[in-house]
Amino acid sequence: MSYCVNCGVELEPSLRECPLCNTPVINPRELEKAALTSPYPKEKGQVEQVKRKDMAILISVILAATGLTCGLLNLLVIRAFAWSLLILGACLVIWVLFVPVIIFHKLSAYLALLLDGLAIGIYLYLITFVTGNDAWFYGLALPIVLWLLFIAEIFALCIRKLPLSILAAMLYFFSTIGILCIGLESIIDWYLTEKITLVWSAIVLAVCIVLDITLITLLSRKRLRDEVDRRLHF
Amino acid sequence: MLAFPFTAAREPVKHVFKFRWLTRNGEEYSREMKKEEKKKYPEVWYKLDLSAIVYPTLQRKDFSSVYRLSVLLKEPVQPDILQEAVDRVLPRFPTYKAAIRKGLFWRYLEPNHRPGPFVKPDINNPCMPMPFKTNNRYLIRFYYYGRRISLEAHHSLGDGTGGMCVLQTVTAEYLRLLGAEIECGGYVLDITKEPDEGELEDAYMRYATSKVRPPRPKERAYRVRGTKEPFYTLNIIDGIMPAPQVLEAAKRYGATVTEYLDAVLLYALLQHQLNTPHIGLRPVKIAMPVNLRRFFPSKTLRNFITMVYPGIDPRMGEYSFEEIVAQVRGYMRYYLNEKFLRGDITTNAATQRNPFIRLVPLFIKDFVVRRFYTKVQDRNSSAGLTNMGVLQVPKSMEPFIERVDICMGQPFSNRTNCAIISFKDILTINFASSIKETDVERYFFRKLVQEGIQVKIESNRNKL
Repeated sequence: MSYCVNCGVELEPSLRECPLCNTPVINPRELEKAALTSPYPKEKGQVEQVKRKDMAILISVILAATGLTCGLLNLLVIRAFAWSLLILGACLVIWVLFVPVIIFHKLSAYLALLLDGLAIGIYLYLITFVTGNDAWFYGLALPIVLWLLFIAEIFALCIRKLPLSILAAMLYFFSTIGILCIGLESIIDWYLTEKITLVWSAIVLAVCIVLDITLITLLSRKRLRDEVDRRLHF
Repeated sequence: MLAFPFTAAREPVKHVFKFRWLTRNGEEYSREMKKEEKKKYPEVWYKLDLSAIVYPTLQRKDFSSVYRLSVLLKEPVQPDILQEAVDRVLPRFPTYKAAIRKGLFWRYLEPNHRPGPFVKPDINNPCMPMPFKTNNRYLIRFYYYGRRISLEAHHSLGDGTGGMCVLQTVTAEYLRLLGAEIECGGYVLDITKEPDEGELEDAYMRYATSKVRPPRPKERAYRVRGTKEPFYTLNIIDGIMPAPQVLEAAKRYGATVTEYLDAVLLYALLQHQLNTPHIGLRPVKIAMPVNLRRFFPSKTLRNFITMVYPGIDPRMGEYSFEEIVAQVRGYMRYYLNEKFLRGDITTNAATQRNPFIRLVPLFIKDFVVRRFYTKVQDRNSSAGLTNMGVLQVPKSMEPFIERVDICMGQPFSNRTNCAIISFKDILTINFASSIKETDVERYFFRKLVQEGIQVKIESNRNKL
């Protein structure tokens, strides 16, 4: 029978140190203590894993089968043009979108977004085989996809790394929308006229700036912030 | 194998009805007989009760609301006989021999005819998460270790009182199989009888009849911060002490044991707050479930508890221990009465009764409930404490039992949960936490030692 010198509690004989304060138990009369059975087992339990892969397999198989059969149909029966590429691309995009949800849960959000952008890019590139002309792809589609991807990554970064509340999320959202529209109009203008004259996106940006200033004011004044919290709480 | 209708096959049986309806005389049931049986015992299902609705929404990969009740016998447990007892007893508890399923608007319990639950050797990390689809969809587990039988149950099946009925009935049946004569009564139910309607009811709805709905407490309380342990760790510190000494200490302050131990925990939390670096102080509050069966007659084995939040606010000034006890005593005597509790139940029931809320799909409800719980409910208290009081067992069972333990299970956030039960002259206080630090426990038990109570500590934090 030993007591903790620090806490004054009696310790169960198998304990080697006080669980409350980690002071070792040294009883000069019982230095060679035989190993006693602890009231708690040593083995750790593990929860059975729930199988989640079934859905992933099902979706992968359905998408692969769709792509394959359409490809065969295109090669052998309806040979008008390479229409199966559109379906193949769509299957690819759907599969990539589902990867973080059902197949690979630990995929980082940034990488997932990058893969989504890549899949959409590939899909658009496949369409150039059908239209027979790829000027629109390099001039318009690719820059837009890259710009969207960039903006989405920045937005994800803001949401995950910067302080987050409903108001802050709205601030990030409106800021990115404003910047996104500026970029989109620039890309479209450059493709059509090789000249950048901002019209509609400037209006969007102006609205977004007004909203942003409002939000920043709300965020910086505790009284206003509390008021919003009270009125919008759920 | 014994000729008994509910003897479970040890290996998983492919045919479900084979498991359920075979084995009295080993005959195979024909399809027609099966149909007849189905007519005779229509498939029943149970709505989740009012508090059971919350627990499954909090389910995470690393968290389930699971509690544990253990009984320490005087002889080593024989697993095969324990299994026999479990198989015999469980059909008496239809809401425990159940699986949880999702509907479009609510979850529900349905009878589970799969093989099991099987008794297993105990593990070091009790109350580990309980995904609904594992363990043959059973939401209870039975463990044995040395002389100890433990029951772990998901809180959505029922509260500690219901679980204690299952555990004691199993223990009584186990002892009967070993040759003892144990009478029924108290927590030990008669397994030859059909389950009573009242045992399966959602008693909340019957008593939620107040005309006003008092608001829920909403103030944020002090939260213990600590280093989170890795997944699959639950630190247990069990303090065992003579019940008369605790009673005597409580009497010195004119308080009941629950009030007194509440005050000691508040004192420990307050010490912890004062001794850790802080900018401002926060109120210290305890979430304490109250067994409503004490106030509203009900035989239900499902949840019938509500939370009260005794606490102190150190921003108002320094509290001495006597003042804390006085505060807790005043709070408890003011709030714990049939009227206040009825108002409380009505507030909780109002959301479930609202037809618009009922029509919202389950996944949206889940999202909202989880958000409410993490943002409001969980921050409402600094620790949890439950006291099951003095446990009564049938007279003939008493000589076989040495001690009873309860464990409130893994806390939802980084804090510690305290569960108290006493059996005869032994009072056990069990702390379960998923953080490395033991400061709250240390302040708590040191205070008890200072008060002249002899505390013996057991723990699974033993680094051997």
